[in-house]
Amino acid sequence: MRKRAASTEVPLSRIGLADLLSEALSGMVQRPGRSVLTLLGTVLGVGAFVAVLGLTSSATGQIGKRFSALQNTTVTLVGTGAEVVTAGGRHRAAMDFPEDADRRVGRLNGAVAAGVYWSAPLTEPKISTSPVPGPGSGTGLDVLALSPGGFDAIEAQVSAGTVYNAFHSERGLRVAVLGSAAAGRLGISRLDAHPAVFVNGVGFTVIGIIDGSARLPETALDVMVPTTTARTLWGNPLPGENGRARMVIRTRTGAAGLVASQAPTALRPEAPQDFEALAPPDPHTLRDSVSTDLTGLFLLLAAICLVIGAVGIANTTLVAVLERTGEIGLRRALGARPRHIAAQFLTESTVLGTLGGLVGTAIGVAVVVLVALARDWTALLQPWTVLSAPLAGSLVGLLAGLYPALRAAGVEPAEALRH
Amino acid sequence: MSGTEARADDRGAPGHRDTPVIRLRGAFRTFPGPPPVTALHPLDLEVARGEYAAVIGPSGSGKSTFLNLLGLLDRPSGGTYELDGIDTGALSEARRTALRGRRIGFVFQSFHLLPYRTALENVMLAQVYNGSARAGRAEAARRVLDQVGLGHRAEALPSRMSGGERQRVAVARALVNRPSLLLCDEPTGNLDSATARRVMELFEELHGSGLTLLVITHDREVAERARRTITIRDGRLGTSGAVAGR
Repeated sequence: MRKRAASTEVPLSRIGLADLLSEALSGMVQRPGRSVLTLLGTVLGVGAFVAVLGLTSSATGQIGKRFSALQNTTVTLVGTGAEVVTAGGRHRAAMDFPEDADRRVGRLNGAVAAGVYWSAPLTEPKISTSPVPGPGSGTGLDVLALSPGGFDAIEAQVSAGTVYNAFHSERGLRVAVLGSAAAGRLGISRLDAHPAVFVNGVGFTVIGIIDGSARLPETALDVMVPTTTARTLWGNPLPGENGRARMVIRTRTGAAGLVASQAPTALRPEAPQDFEALAPPDPHTLRDSVSTDLTGLFLLLAAICLVIGAVGIANTTLVAVLERTGEIGLRRALGARPRHIAAQFLTESTVLGTLGGLVGTAIGVAVVVLVALARDWTALLQPWTVLSAPLAGSLVGLLAGLYPALRAAGVEPAEALRH
Repeated sequence: MSGTEARADDRGAPGHRDTPVIRLRGAFRTFPGPPPVTALHPLDLEVARGEYAAVIGPSGSGKSTFLNLLGLLDRPSGGTYELDGIDTGALSEARRTALRGRRIGFVFQSFHLLPYRTALENVMLAQVYNGSARAGRAEAARRVLDQVGLGHRAEALPSRMSGGERQRVAVARALVNRPSLLLCDEPTGNLDSATARRVMELFEELHGSGLTLLVITHDREVAERARRTITIRDGRLGTSGAVAGR
């Protein structure tokens, strides 16, 4: 009876959340210099995390942006007509694209320019600047049949001379335009002497050199000739994935889908099914390949920073526990239970960690924005990165405080008060 | 509720006016060896409400062990200790801690003030763990600071205070929870004699207002100010002084 009365008469000690926080904060503010130094590891760790994740997403976003700028304005059609057997018993693809394909598609609303191209059906063509080729001259070069509209469609930059046009094409003239790399290999840099190239002994007058194109980069290594000339000389394109004739269409931004759906009908109203719009390469694979290698390394470094930060906080908190033994004894004498003491030091270390996380996040975001500004990128940060980074700091602080808090809770008040 | 009715008849019930603040019966303390040491031999002691008692003994006499027992910082190895009529041996450690925080005010030789907090904040620290509302704390702390004559120094840091002022802040901190017992461990040990005298005068005043004081000291002069002197030597209690037998 009395025992019960006694224990109900003494309500247990307790500490409110507001008190806990203010006690922890005042413990931290007592030694601001030390607190700042303690934060450094966490600041670096969290900052590195945010910066690495932000820079990676900004960089991949950048790739994605460029990629989609091209992708939005490019349509590639491939002819899928039946195979035909021509003279000599060789398998050739049917010529799906009509002679005036460039004009038919170019007239479509939204299309800017269009051109038909295929790899000339020659196996290891001998390409040189003289009728009798020397050994090994011009190897690795290819002959590309390209309709005149193609130069505009692939946005070729003419660096010398000019490109051929409908006049050359309609007459099947033997003229060629060289890609810049091909011109270099053949030793042609000036056109004022009307140089010629010979493909398997057939001469072409070089009338221009182009500097390559973002849409069809392989043209740098090509000798381009008009499609009509190529067909007259070497027949229809080869069947199969690499040989078939294709059409590249440059569209206005956003018109790619529309042009892709209309172009087959415009080309061959009687058999639009003979064309297939090619799916562009998946941008995600591109992004993934960028984000894996270096990011992993940097994230590892950031994790190491966080561990160092945790050790720093643990060390400081432990020193604080040892330094403040008298205070712990006093608090115990004032009615604090061991768990209250542990909670106070745990809160102190968690607040330290959170503060480090916040500062680190701010620095990380600033780094991402500054780098993005310097490189003309769009800064990209996942919201969950920015939100969770301070929490990572809190977690580090909490873990770091566990051992010192246990030590503090174990302090014997009678012993501590003797100091 | 049934407890309150029982209390009216039971003179030993907790909190009653006539209940002794301290009642030790056969309490002793041994420290396990090897070899085991008996720091306190079984002792009986009663300190009535409103008494002003001093425990005097040379160092090594078991004063600290006695203080720790009385302050609930340690448990006796045997015997009973009732504080305010509450049998402390039957309480869990958590309840003992709560009892310590609410019913005992400690005054230490080295003051134990937190150096980065003002006098007011140091006093308010005593109210953190006993569930008192935050809003009323500053006012209560100011009141006890006034009581010890330091109302004008409420915002001063301990480093800006004299030793006597610091000890009076510590007394204010011990008083703010209205304890049943003020337990002072060598309260004048770090003070010069003039300042010590001022602190002793404060104790007189508190005694006059009805507070129960127990001062543990090795200083005969301090002990003689108390109404009752209890000597401790080699872990055994004895009484002396003019008023001892009263």
